[in-house]
Amino acid sequence: MKIVCCLALSALLVLSSSAAYSQGKPAPKDARLYFITPHDGQKIRGGFWVRFGLRNMGVTHAGDDYQNSGHHHLLIDVNDPIDPKEPIPQDKSHLHFGAGQTETFLELPPGTHTLQLVLGDAKHYPFDPPIVSSKVSVRIR
Amino acid sequence: MGEIRNFKSGNQGERPPHGAVPRRLAAIIVGDIASYSRLMQADEEGTHVRVKRIERDLIQPSIVEHHGSLVKTTGDGFIAIFDSPVEAVRCSIVIQQNLVGRNASLPKDSRIEYRIGVNLGDVIVESDDIYGDGVNIATRIEGIAEPGQVFISGAIYEQIKHKVVCGYESLGDRKVKNITDPVRVYRVLPDADAVSRTRGRRENILIFFLSLALLVIAGYVLWYMLAQPGSQVGQHAAAPPAVAPTASPTPAEPGSTAPAPQVAPAASPSPTAVPSPAALPSLVPLPSTASIREPEMVAIRAGSLAMGSIDDPTERPVHQVAIKPFAIGKYPVTVREWNECAAAKACGFTAIGKDDAPVTNVSWTDAQQYAVWLAQATKKPYRLPSEAEWEYAARGGTQTKYWWGDKLQPGMAACKDCGDVSADQPVKVGSFKPNPFGLYDMGGGVDQWVADCWHKNYQGAPADGSAWIGADCTSHVLRSGSWKNDARYVRPANRDSYDTNVRYPTHGLRIALGP
Repeated sequence: MKIVCCLALSALLVLSSSAAYSQGKPAPKDARLYFITPHDGQKIRGGFWVRFGLRNMGVTHAGDDYQNSGHHHLLIDVNDPIDPKEPIPQDKSHLHFGAGQTETFLELPPGTHTLQLVLGDAKHYPFDPPIVSSKVSVRIR
Repeated sequence: MGEIRNFKSGNQGERPPHGAVPRRLAAIIVGDIASYSRLMQADEEGTHVRVKRIERDLIQPSIVEHHGSLVKTTGDGFIAIFDSPVEAVRCSIVIQQNLVGRNASLPKDSRIEYRIGVNLGDVIVESDDIYGDGVNIATRIEGIAEPGQVFISGAIYEQIKHKVVCGYESLGDRKVKNITDPVRVYRVLPDADAVSRTRGRRENILIFFLSLALLVIAGYVLWYMLAQPGSQVGQHAAAPPAVAPTASPTPAEPGSTAPAPQVAPAASPSPTAVPSPAALPSLVPLPSTASIREPEMVAIRAGSLAMGSIDDPTERPVHQVAIKPFAIGKYPVTVREWNECAAAKACGFTAIGKDDAPVTNVSWTDAQQYAVWLAQATKKPYRLPSEAEWEYAARGGTQTKYWWGDKLQPGMAACKDCGDVSADQPVKVGSFKPNPFGLYDMGGGVDQWVADCWHKNYQGAPADGSAWIGADCTSHVLRSGSWKNDARYVRPANRDSYDTNVRYPTHGLRIALGP
């Protein structure tokens, strides 16, 4: 009974949220976002190139509303979960690549950092389900 | 007061045990309470207790904290010496700023306000007093300082100008009593009040001359029309108000909707061309100029700032930048102002949202289009501010982390953790306190585009306040932080970048005016 209740409640929540926000464009099920470089656990000296990989979807400019395409966002040391109802934040730990870039040169302070990619739609909202890469951590010396 | 100025008549009989006269170069602070006699007359014991408390709780600890030493206190003042001019000026600023806080709740006539003068000089130091020209000059400078202010000599200024981040106003060479050579004096403008007072006075002078000029023009127009045939006499009713808005730096109130005063500028240059005042609104020769709601502007006087901070790698190195006079929008550009550009088909999209909310979802290219349109439509040199101008305006003469101080305070800015709830939309412009220059939302609210290309730090940045524009400009600089960012982004030194052609929901703009 309890489980049914929970299910119903969560279904209701999902429904109401998707009703209230028309954002969250559907993405192909087999879409995959990943880092070409660096790999998880890589030790790096100085600045380094980060290259973004995307399969089964296309990269386009922010603002261009094409099916199955979006633009990259690179999250550095972000631990907050992604909010599908809000545009991906813009600050020094959420880098936007709205011009359709697929790589960037990063210079991070020494220490361990995590990197994660999130694909955003024309208006910077995450897709539904969110297209995110696995988090990689790098150690800067 | 008399006691302080009487250095040479002090206890000269005592000499330190070692024989030679001990001389040293020192930065000398002389402080003295304004209207001490009046305060004593009103409440002798109370004043005495309060002065002693200020000396014990504020002045002595501040001096020690800045590695200085208190030479002596007198009835209404103190003298301290420092090895470092920078520390001496910092200490003076700390004392003055703390006194502002202490005085805030008191009625005007019972406030204890110090004048402070700082000079660099070679002085004779004895155990309980110091002597020399340097001390006398410091005393004279203190004497011409206004209550609550720090005046410094040219010698101090030369030492600190690139090191202590605050404004300096040159007061020129002053002849001081019993000193042969004139002394160059500077006013230090560290705190909000000092800056706005200066500005206020200058503005008053400016307004006076402006109105004088207007009067002359109006008189001329009147004479001109009276000299014309009778049929056109009726116009002078329209002419004088017609001149006023063109000369005023702040033509449009954001709240007002009546376009009447703005209709007039088009008519004023050629009063005889318009047949009758009744037909004026419909027969405006330049309809685009007439109907434009120009953003309200605030004139910013020339000055300099130490731009940047050590809080973030992008904000280094801190470097001195000179700023020429310019004007900047009192608020970010609003939806209403933006949509006039959109209606003229000069801006890329029509903004939705409340009329007096800041326009958002603006790319740098969009912002630039708005500036170009506004300049063309009004025939005034509207443009985006340079990054240096933005920071100068945002600091409002302060050197602190935020324009209101070093600590976060609720009610000062719209940001994620500034103490107010974040909404989907930024609140309407001007909802928070203005900074010392009278500018609203310089920090928090909406991100604001400036003219500069993005450079990852200030290595090689221009020092003349101009925009730093490079060849390959794929991203531009954003200032202010938005209602969705945390408090670090509200700092006036904070800078961020974004792709030139991409819109984002927290990005807006503020307009500037100047060559």
